[in-house]
Amino acid sequence: MSASERPLPVPDRDSLPWWKALVRHELLLQRCASCDALRWPPRELCNRCGTLDWTWIPASGRGTVASWVVNHHMFGPGFRAPYVVVAVRLDDQDDIVMPGAYWGSGDGTEDGADLAIGLPLEVDFDDIDVPSGSEPITLLRWRPARSMAP
Amino acid sequence: MADALRDKTAIVGVGYTEYSKNSGVSTLTLALRAIRAAIDDAGLAHGDIDGVACHRVGDSVQAVIVAQALGIRDLRYHADMFGGGATSTQVLISASMAVASGLADYVVCWRAINARSEWRMGGTGRAAPDTVEFQYQVPYGFVTPPQQFAMYSHAYMHRHGVTAEDLGRVAIFQRGHAMKNERAMMRGPLTMDDYLASRWIVEPFRLFDCCLETDAAVALIVTSAERARDLRRRPVLVSGAAYGGGHTLFSNQRADLTTTAARELSTRLYASAGIGPADVDVAEFYDAFTPLVLMQLEDFGFCAPGDGAAMVADGATSIGGALPVNTHGGHLSEGYVHGLNHVAEAVAQLRGSCGDRQVDGAEVALSTGQPGYVAGCSSAVVLKKGS
Ligand SMILES: [Zn+2]
Repeated sequence: MSASERPLPVPDRDSLPWWKALVRHELLLQRCASCDALRWPPRELCNRCGTLDWTWIPASGRGTVASWVVNHHMFGPGFRAPYVVVAVRLDDQDDIVMPGAYWGSGDGTEDGADLAIGLPLEVDFDDIDVPSGSEPITLLRWRPARSMAP
Repeated sequence: MADALRDKTAIVGVGYTEYSKNSGVSTLTLALRAIRAAIDDAGLAHGDIDGVACHRVGDSVQAVIVAQALGIRDLRYHADMFGGGATSTQVLISASMAVASGLADYVVCWRAINARSEWRMGGTGRAAPDTVEFQYQVPYGFVTPPQQFAMYSHAYMHRHGVTAEDLGRVAIFQRGHAMKNERAMMRGPLTMDDYLASRWIVEPFRLFDCCLETDAAVALIVTSAERARDLRRRPVLVSGAAYGGGHTLFSNQRADLTTTAARELSTRLYASAGIGPADVDVAEFYDAFTPLVLMQLEDFGFCAPGDGAAMVADGATSIGGALPVNTHGGHLSEGYVHGLNHVAEAVAQLRGSCGDRQVDGAEVALSTGQPGYVAGCSSAVVLKKGS
């Protein structure tokens, strides 16, 4: 994908460590220090029990397709239609759903024909080109799980 | 105190600008034209308005600027809400609360947008609103409302076996209503072949699954039920009102993507009005995209989960059916005024002023905001014909 065209994420003060972990190819979640509930995106307070204390933990990197869309329209610069966006329900906790790119055939053009709701996926990391001098950015891309083994 | 607002306030004036693809004027001008028309419709005088309320997503003039332009020296109520369709009836509810509490006597609610010529919801020429979760969407090219609603709709369609033809029937019945509405932008017939041949925007949405983008403004004037009795129009009472929390992909508390906030909200809404779904004569459902109509039929209790498509196929939602829906043609075919044109249509139905598209004996209307996907919140009102 062209560095000059593609819109880059703008991390905030809560999410910056999460984005930096992606650059190290680590997918993180927050875990509540009191009730162990997981959460994403990064937020300071547990929405189950109201506790402020938490730690980062590595996610399993596995999930299933909660839904997907096939984009046929030019919704913004840097994307070539058709392209797929998946909503991935993490195996770690069923109410954590992450949008991401789908990388089925690996050539970046997808029509979603090989997707199904419930299909097991595994995470992959896409180190994208950024303008020189910018912070490195890595994005999520998901591919069909190669095996069901944990 | 579920019924604290019941029949305490009324909508007494409605104003529109013309609908177009290029108004050629500012959103301030659109707002002032619609508000002036609403003041005239109510039989009020310039100077009677003492409260203002609008919703916007960084795409329209601020409420205080409109208040100044209206010459309100002592502004008694002011609400300038960040939000899209989920917020449309919330603006009306907020105005009703202000009037019922005595903060203000006559509050005008409006939505003014150049949604085609200046700030297209579809994304062209538009910066993302300042929503914190956009950082997780923008880099994947997943930003605009059609994409976000397609994500939820796809999960819903999969769960209940809803087909393209089921969506097409929604677009088609609403077009039929628009053909009886001189205000509607889309007044030509729409067939299933037309629908199925329309281009993909973002699967599962074709062009005709998506709402229009319109330059327009709609304004409503709210006052107390008591004051309303002395005004020139038959009042339409705000009989029930409820807010609801909804989904986003980032809510972390709603694993099921296939139901809407209406499921929880509707219980409170009906209790606040003291009615049930069987008492509703006409429903104006927020319809940014076709599946939202099916989901709301189910989640507002008009049929069982998964049966919305069958209800449409049976003709129940057409004028003359058991529950006429989107009698103006909705956002799909009348025009897109971000939910406020649905409230205005409900008022017109209860006034009995809808001509060819009038629902016989309409006494109770439901008007809903966007049902809680994407925004993470929703709102809806029950309106009742006053005397
Ligand atoms: Zn907790």
